[in-house]
Amino acid sequence: MSAQLWALAAVGLIVLAAASLENLRSRRARRLVAGATAAPAQEPYILYFTGDSCTVCRTHQEPALTRLGDVRIDKIDAVADRALADRFHVYTLPTTVVMASDGRALHVNYGYAPAPKLERQLAEARGSALSAATA
Amino acid sequence: MSTPTTVVDHSALKVNQTGIVATVLVAFVGSLAWRPLLVLIPLLAIVLLVGTFVPRLALFKQFYFQVLKPRGIVKPRPVQDRPEPHNFAQGLGGVFLAVASVFLIPVPVIGLALALLVAVLAFVNLAFGYCVGCQIFFQLERRGLLRA
Repeated sequence: MSAQLWALAAVGLIVLAAASLENLRSRRARRLVAGATAAPAQEPYILYFTGDSCTVCRTHQEPALTRLGDVRIDKIDAVADRALADRFHVYTLPTTVVMASDGRALHVNYGYAPAPKLERQLAEARGSALSAATA
Repeated sequence: MSTPTTVVDHSALKVNQTGIVATVLVAFVGSLAWRPLLVLIPLLAIVLLVGTFVPRLALFKQFYFQVLKPRGIVKPRPVQDRPEPHNFAQGLGGVFLAVASVFLIPVPVIGLALALLVAVLAFVNLAFGYCVGCQIFFQLERRGLLRA
């Protein structure tokens, strides 16, 4: 087999390994964040971790957040507010955390989260708040 | 503390990434038929490293600013952004290609694999907007190892 084919196979393996590691890392981080809390609020809200070095935040994430309409979004500089970023295991930017109104982290999205996904997560957060209130 | 952003033309970045992907692909595929084409890899390493430290000598970006943009072939896309993470990513690509160049003659598989990896990452950035170099920049900045 030529060097080119070996190189192609090696890069394929590296990409697969990197994707698997990234998957494991985000699962682990999500598990660790499960118990994290922040300030309670009237309605579910979003913690949006960003930074100056994050281009996807400006080009993709912020327009997606704007499409959500009337939702409270707490924008946090992950470099400046390191303690809060560490509490939510922010290892990549952007990271969005959908918070329940009682201050519990319900969903964590590492990397770009499109508007429909966030809307679904917010609807779930509103639903769980409603069922807790009626219980 | 937040670093002030400036306007970065993302079309220039896209042209740069396209140039990287195209050059590596030409070297990679072309070398199957004509081995001397591998010289494109060290040349690309030089182009990226020089462009990182002297942005006005960045070949692909200058091609965009001097040829593609004035003729309206590629439309500008200005975005409030910081150029440092992109420069860092480009420099990292240049370093990887320089290491690839060292391996090209004695262990071509390693050299070709490293060059292809740079092309794959440039393609991911081009197609999906995900910049691995920028994420590394964020991690280094967060640990206080890099300052803008």
